[in-house]
Amino acid sequence: MSKAVIEVSGLHKVYEGAVPVKAVNGIDLTITEGEFTALKGPSGCGKTTLLNLLGGLDQPTSGSILIDGTDITGLSDNELIDFRLHNIGFVFQAYNLIPVLSATENVSFIMLLQDRPKEERLARAEQLLKAVGLAGKEDKRPGQLSGGQQQRVAVARALASKPKFVLADEPTANLDSESTAKLLDIMEQLNREENMTFVFATHDDRVIAKAKRVVSISDGQVISDSAK
Amino acid sequence: MLKLAWRNIWRNKGRSIITIAAVMFCVIFAVVLRSFQVGVWENMIHEIVGNNFGYLQIHEDGFWADQSLDRTMDLSAVNSEELLAVDGVDRLIPRMESFSLLYHGSNTKGSLVMGIDPAVELPGLQLDDILLEGRSFTRDDSVIVVSEGLAKYFNVGLGDTLLFMGQGYHGATAYGAFPIGGIARMTNPELNKQLVLMPFQKAQYMYNCTDRATTLVVAIDEEADYEVVGATLKGSGAEGLEILQWKELFPEIIQTIEVDMAGGRIFVTILYFIISFVLLGTVIMMVAERQREFGILVSIGMKKTKLAFVTLLENVMLIMGGAIVGMAVVKPVQFYFKYNPIDLSGQMKEAIEQYNFEPKLYTTTSFIINLNHGTIIFFIGVLVSLYAVVKIMKLNPIESMRS
Repeated sequence: MSKAVIEVSGLHKVYEGAVPVKAVNGIDLTITEGEFTALKGPSGCGKTTLLNLLGGLDQPTSGSILIDGTDITGLSDNELIDFRLHNIGFVFQAYNLIPVLSATENVSFIMLLQDRPKEERLARAEQLLKAVGLAGKEDKRPGQLSGGQQQRVAVARALASKPKFVLADEPTANLDSESTAKLLDIMEQLNREENMTFVFATHDDRVIAKAKRVVSISDGQVISDSAK
Repeated sequence: MLKLAWRNIWRNKGRSIITIAAVMFCVIFAVVLRSFQVGVWENMIHEIVGNNFGYLQIHEDGFWADQSLDRTMDLSAVNSEELLAVDGVDRLIPRMESFSLLYHGSNTKGSLVMGIDPAVELPGLQLDDILLEGRSFTRDDSVIVVSEGLAKYFNVGLGDTLLFMGQGYHGATAYGAFPIGGIARMTNPELNKQLVLMPFQKAQYMYNCTDRATTLVVAIDEEADYEVVGATLKGSGAEGLEILQWKELFPEIIQTIEVDMAGGRIFVTILYFIISFVLLGTVIMMVAERQREFGILVSIGMKKTKLAFVTLLENVMLIMGGAIVGMAVVKPVQFYFKYNPIDLSGQMKEAIEQYNFEPKLYTTTSFIINLNHGTIIFFIGVLVSLYAVVKIMKLNPIESMRS
């Protein structure tokens, strides 16, 4: 049986205001190593909030999140940053690359934060960029790349730190069909060949079609969870 | 970290140039402002003290407090050789200074009479350089040179004779009649209104002070420090004499400078407040522009302390660059206005002349001014950069990435 990478129980996130909003309303979820999971649902259903909570970017109102056995809800701000650096890869909808860095530098930057030697950083960045089909584009800055290419750099960056899993928030939302297909093929291949765990928040049918497990969310709650 | 900061600076040329330019203009503005203030005083001291009265003067003990001809010094008793042997002393310039009532026709005026030897005098009293008309005099001449203002007052010209009446040594009557050989323009407005220059021996004779002098001006070498020279002189061959530095001779100048400088400091402090807000504006702009980048960096695992340090390092490098460029760029401006002062006119000219100052705005070329203001603005810049540090330490990555 595969090892659980993410274990969520009784997770709540309420945004206080004149009218409190229950963005996540009692979610229990377990994701095991090597899964290729899509969290689907309409806009505002809470999937991005859930992803932010899983990534330690936001703190839940209540409940627990165990990542590889560590309850990240009890970690301090600094510990969370450190935890993210070594355990979680992120792919954002808007790519979120550092505009002043080249593709290689964007990928290797996270390894620089991990204090890895320069040779190792450059070699891995080159290898990852090649794996996502960007050989020859190493020196290009984000502004010189298409949306699809930028998102592939973001995938390479997410994998650079050798994380336990990758969280991808609407990774195909800004991409055309061709770029989407290419990106999904790359992620599927990485999942298959390196047993990398991927969790997507998406409402893109193309992503959902590729996912091996689909968790449907509505009003902050899991309404269905099906494996293919 | 340094490399990272340097790369950020280099790859954000637009932002870097804006920050450097903001700091540079702040430094230029502060330095120019202060340079004019200090330069005016520096020039005035140089003009009045250096060129006319000397940085050091020797008198009979007690003369300066009680400026009577009865306290003139006996030149034959002064050990000139020992005084001249002091390091930094170039020459001793004897002067006979007193007041006389001057007559011409029905006009009278109390005037400052100065007996000098033009051959050894300070630059301000090098008659050939300041004469408007006529000629200078030699030791044996009997002609006098009057200041421009005095000539206008008496409505006299070359060849006209002025009558002198006053009191000489030990109560003797001092009188004389001297033809005008030249009319000179003194740079000091007060002297330009009332000064009469005559050959030193003639002045000694008129005031019944043969072989005596009121003052020995100590001309010092250009590179010599007058304070050091003055201290050395006090310990050598100066018994019965007083050796005074210009600050003791003209304390009112020091007081005026101090009052003006205090006003200037208030103005500069206000300027620093304005500069602080200008620099803060630049930092706020930078933080707002990079909010998303900061959010990304923290979300992928860069510690806030590390990010804050890199950002601070970037700002320190930019501010230092701006300060250095500002200090350097302003230098030609300082040199230009030192040698091409701004001539004041109208009411401002009259107001300044009332205080006996030359109505011209000079700058100083002293690099200390640049260094001081560059350093202060650098520290202000570093201080306002802490805004970025605070914002980073409080950063919420999700909100930042949404911005």
